[in-house]
Amino acid sequence: MNRPASIRTAVEARLARRHRAERRFQFYGAAAICLAVAFLALLIGSILIQSVPAMTTWRMTLQVELDRAAIDPRGDMSEASLRRGGYNAAIQQALRDQFPDVEDRAELRELFGLYSSVNAARLLNRVVQDPSLVGGTVSFTFPIDDDADLYLKGVSVRESRAPGPAPVRIQAGEGRAVTLSAEARVFDAFVDDVREAARERARILEQRAERAEAALADAIDRDIRAIYEAEARRARAQAERLRDRLDEGAPVVIGPQIPSLLVQVDGAVIRVSDVSADRRSARGEMVISAPLGEAAHSDWTLWTIETPQAGRLISDRQIAWVDALRERGMTRSGFNTELFTYADSREPELAGVLGALIGSVLTMFVTMLLAVPIGVGAAIYLEEFAPKNRITQLIEVNINNLAAVPSIVFGLLGLAVFINTFGLPRSAPLVGGIVLALMTLPTVIISSRAALKAVPPSIREAALGVGASKTQAVFHHVLPLAAPGILTGSIIGLAQALGETAPLLMIGMVAFIADAPSLGLAGFTEPSTVMPVQIFLWSSAAERAFEARTAAAILVLLTLMVSLNAAAIYLRRRFERRW
Amino acid sequence: MAYDAQPAPATVYHPAPAGMNIKVAASDLSVRYGGALALDRVAMDIPDRSVTACIGPSGCGKSTFLRCINRMNDTIETARVSGSIRIDGEEVNDRSIDPVLLRARVGMVFQKPNPFPKSIYENVAYGPRIHGLAASKDELDAIVETSLTKAGLWKEVADRLHQPGTSLSGGQQQRLVIARAIAVNPEVILMDEPCSALDPIATARIEELIDELRENYALIIVTHSMAQAARVSQMTAFFHLGALVEYGPTEEIFTNPRDQRTQDYITGRFG
Amino acid sequence: MQISVLVALTLLVLIAFGFLTGRRRALSVRAQGGPRLHSLPNYYGYYIALWTGGPALVLLAAYGAFGSGLVNTLAMSQLEREAAPLIAEFERQLDADAQIIALLEEAAEADADAMEAREAITRARDSGLDPQAFQGALAGHTTRLTEIGARLDQRRGEIARSVAARAPSSDAGIRARSGFEFWNSPRERRELFLADARAIAFGEGLASRNTPELRAAALAMRPVEDIFRWSVAALVLSMAVGGLAWGRSRVKASFRARNRVEAAISGLLMFASIIAILTTLGIVFSLLFESLRFFASIGWRVGDFLFGLQWSPQIAIRADQIGQSGAFGAAPLFAGTALITVIAMSVAVPVGLFSAIYMSEYASKRVRAVAKPILEVLAGVPTVVYGFFALLTVGPFLRDFALFLGYEDAVTQSALSAGLVMGVMIIPFVSSLSDDVINAVPQSLRDGAYAMGATKSETIRHVVLPAALPGIVGAVLLGVSRAIGETMIVVMAAGQGANLTANPLESVTTITVQIVTLLTGDQEFDSSKTLAAFALGLVLFVLTLMLNIIALRVVQRFRERYE
Repeated sequence: MNRPASIRTAVEARLARRHRAERRFQFYGAAAICLAVAFLALLIGSILIQSVPAMTTWRMTLQVELDRAAIDPRGDMSEASLRRGGYNAAIQQALRDQFPDVEDRAELRELFGLYSSVNAARLLNRVVQDPSLVGGTVSFTFPIDDDADLYLKGVSVRESRAPGPAPVRIQAGEGRAVTLSAEARVFDAFVDDVREAARERARILEQRAERAEAALADAIDRDIRAIYEAEARRARAQAERLRDRLDEGAPVVIGPQIPSLLVQVDGAVIRVSDVSADRRSARGEMVISAPLGEAAHSDWTLWTIETPQAGRLISDRQIAWVDALRERGMTRSGFNTELFTYADSREPELAGVLGALIGSVLTMFVTMLLAVPIGVGAAIYLEEFAPKNRITQLIEVNINNLAAVPSIVFGLLGLAVFINTFGLPRSAPLVGGIVLALMTLPTVIISSRAALKAVPPSIREAALGVGASKTQAVFHHVLPLAAPGILTGSIIGLAQALGETAPLLMIGMVAFIADAPSLGLAGFTEPSTVMPVQIFLWSSAAERAFEARTAAAILVLLTLMVSLNAAAIYLRRRFERRW
Repeated sequence: MAYDAQPAPATVYHPAPAGMNIKVAASDLSVRYGGALALDRVAMDIPDRSVTACIGPSGCGKSTFLRCINRMNDTIETARVSGSIRIDGEEVNDRSIDPVLLRARVGMVFQKPNPFPKSIYENVAYGPRIHGLAASKDELDAIVETSLTKAGLWKEVADRLHQPGTSLSGGQQQRLVIARAIAVNPEVILMDEPCSALDPIATARIEELIDELRENYALIIVTHSMAQAARVSQMTAFFHLGALVEYGPTEEIFTNPRDQRTQDYITGRFG
Repeated sequence: MQISVLVALTLLVLIAFGFLTGRRRALSVRAQGGPRLHSLPNYYGYYIALWTGGPALVLLAAYGAFGSGLVNTLAMSQLEREAAPLIAEFERQLDADAQIIALLEEAAEADADAMEAREAITRARDSGLDPQAFQGALAGHTTRLTEIGARLDQRRGEIARSVAARAPSSDAGIRARSGFEFWNSPRERRELFLADARAIAFGEGLASRNTPELRAAALAMRPVEDIFRWSVAALVLSMAVGGLAWGRSRVKASFRARNRVEAAISGLLMFASIIAILTTLGIVFSLLFESLRFFASIGWRVGDFLFGLQWSPQIAIRADQIGQSGAFGAAPLFAGTALITVIAMSVAVPVGLFSAIYMSEYASKRVRAVAKPILEVLAGVPTVVYGFFALLTVGPFLRDFALFLGYEDAVTQSALSAGLVMGVMIIPFVSSLSDDVINAVPQSLRDGAYAMGATKSETIRHVVLPAALPGIVGAVLLGVSRAIGETMIVVMAAGQGANLTANPLESVTTITVQIVTLLTGDQEFDSSKTLAAFALGLVLFVLTLMLNIIALRVVQRFRERYE
């Protein structure tokens, strides 16, 4: 009888293949989990990395002279008088003292662009608090402009410095114009780099022209042909122009599209405007002046700012000034406390999350006050009191569906009902809190019901058995036992609401609000914003410095949510009871 | 209980009666679930082409013993099996034995009928399909028909083979599950209280079936009902507190038990 | 404000007094050795407190919610009546003004040009060409339209000012001017006007302006508000006292105070659970109402809205302007939503499902203990964070990758980056719901398959998954509904262009993005632009509601089968 043997061979023949399939399947599962974990790691990691530049900030310290006449215009030292003082002018003067040869109006504007005049308000407050400062000199520290800050952090501008290869002679011309000349081809490397970059761009332009011409050949429609013809012509012309400039015999004029060249020599900084064709001499102007004399300098630095001016928001001069301020020890980097102590601002260096944090606290307070009692009440009714009829069933189905309604729809509800019908104020934490409470309600109800359901019926029966009424049994016995579960569910619901953005956009909480709302009863109706909306606003801001601040704000929000969830987990662990 | 005081004769070897082919042989077989000892040094031989019934009070280890034979205990994370169990002299617990192959050779029927969420046909064809026992559709059809016929279900379901298996009644479902088990032509069939979820009429059908299957297979059934053991089995093993107390021909166990505990159990003093 | 605080405090004192009275009365009944009290003394206290505070608080709440609105309406409608001659004059001048007529004609022309440009774009797309130049032209026409709109507004403003200037600067004249200004303001300006007037009248917040007209409105509000305040205060207090007296008169030994109090409590609880229903009704009615107004404003061409291929609501300057009909074709939004949903689900379903399978069938306890919370964290990350991630990390990466592969038109904000990140967001929903249903498949089915000699993966594929299928389908449907309703990721990362495309590397727009775009920024509330947002909201609500109902049904059926 060969029956067993035949099964064995049949099974064994396929066994290896089946086990391979088994391993493959298991691998897919593990890979899926790894993928999810990797996504999370990437998400958190990228945000951490992006937030690094926002963790510190560069501040400038100036010795500001508070001239009695300018600061106290009425001369009576009253607060009203002090508030009319020219503080910004005092700061400007202190900055001008550092660079006395800056005269031109446009240049001065660039110089004062190194800080935001909003800082003057802080100086004002200091003086109002301590009028004895008037007439003296105060050391005033304030955040430097965001573009200068990014430059100092080395994230927005690429630059390189090389020692001058051969002695150079500097001849002063009219005003601050100078001519540099050397025996050797000292500007060789710079010119080569510029030409290489230009050649590359010309090549790309020609490619584009070729593509347009190819498309032109295929096009039938008259209008379309016109478009491609224009495109091809434009690209060709640009490429031509570039090629012309590449001509070996021509001098290199430094424009906004090509890297800038600065020369540092003996404390002076010269901005080169064009390099002659022989690459030995160049013309430029002094940005920071110093007496240089007629002799040749052998110790000098070629300072190339590789990011062209068109690709950055900080000018060559500003770079030279900021660099000089750093050399003089007047700028210093430190922890970015402004991020936590200031409300929103148009100036990234003065923008913080305080306003949004307070807005979030107020909004969450309203949400908690509404969602928890109503949610728990509804859960108690449905779980303990409600007769099992069609109405109860309808309410249940309705709650389950409400839990899956997109959050933006709640925003529409808030806009149509609370703002347009009831006339509640726009952008206010009150309305935001109500909308989020309605959104959180199903979560609270569902988790509270689960907690109530987990209390065994024997507890109710025991209470009823000793003569307690139904209400007494529920409120004296069941509710205390279900409280930890209810609390956990409520906290998780609140954490969800804390991270919600979309419905708040609908009720106008996206406005730019420079003052933090007051942490009191009045704050509930004042316009404000909340953390997630602040993140949204910053992420769409144009200034590059906001990018890092957005990431930092995200970290603040995530920290809040993690601590809320940790509290929920702690409560669950601490008071959890199993029957 | 007074019996606890008695020294457990656990390692006593229980041979099969002379003249019968030994199919399954256990020796020194113990199973622990976590810290609890569920089976304590069982040693016995089970004959081929006969029905062996395992009886005993709940939690005595009879189901655990059954699950050792096709290594179903592997699916329980905390289970630790030690000792030896052999089928045709081949060690089941050996690392080189593939449980997939083993389970193709040892069929099993559970307490509650558990047809897959597929059609009646697909339920029976499942084993042959995954093991590649049929070369063509016709061959598969033949296997399904034979198995259903052997399980005494063919006449009832021949015209609705493609309806879901769950549409059958409880007794029919259990016979479907038996058909599913015999479709791969196993050598041993394990049945874990196969009738406990069925009504008396369905139970009678299954018992008849068991008796018929004895012709070709070694059957080992766990049962709560002593009457059932007496009706269908040739050999009976009595388990108590994880130990095999007594093992022998059914008639002998029920009429002349040697152990006091067996005596008390079959006379209904405990259970 | 002070009156309200005073009233509230008095009310609190009365409630406390009511409680003590009830208690004391009950205790004195007991002390006199009368018949046994039905309930504990405290319940008599609660009973009277309920009667004292309940009706009064309801009235106070109603006044808080509607009072100021009522005052505003009453005061302003009076002023508007006084402004009737000015309004009539304004309308007469509007109709006769040559400049306005010319501007309207110009607008019609620009609108026609814009339509033409849009057709040209479609033609160019159809012939597979780059429609960039026409898009430029279209943008030009759009700007022109906006400019004409601005000039129209300016001219209308001029006329309004000249009309208002005719009113004498006597008190009555200023009141009329005030009413006229209010009448002539769009909705949002009206809100601001009212807020400012209230600020001047009652010191609620800070007024952003302080004009004679606002002061006139404030003066008109004050007496109305005073009457309201005093009458409500008197009514509230008399209701409280009346309630107290009535409750007190009912306290007797045989009185079932506890039952009454408990009935009130359970009524309160029932009200709490009805709020959920009220919320749904609120959603349905507000969406329906505003949508109907929208459909009325586009001449009931609902079909054009649902199936129209052109979405450019910015073209329509105002509701009465010709040519806005073509601008509200929402098909590109539906297509964009579908495209992003498909991308998201093709990430979320395989990853989520396989994670669930691995977690429930393969993973050891230790792996589970680590992996499950990680997936939960993924679910807890706010969507705005995902949006930021899509915008600044995934988007640029995908663009650079597409450029590297030679796709020239790659953009940062694309359907692909939004869809991918949304998929990651939905992974935990699919996986935790699937995990639940897979765990709900009875062990006996698995045992049956193992006992047949099936390997673990065969058991899962052939037995567990088919058994869990309905539940998994439900989970996926809930995931789809989530993807359709998700807002922030797409707002930040999918772009704005209403492109009707299946190319995941192009930017698309979705229903939710357009709702946000239409409702943020400076817009008058009543324009069809803003109303369109509600129509889109209605579509979104209906769509997700249907998905949810089907999904919940399917899951419920599944649970019933195995429990």
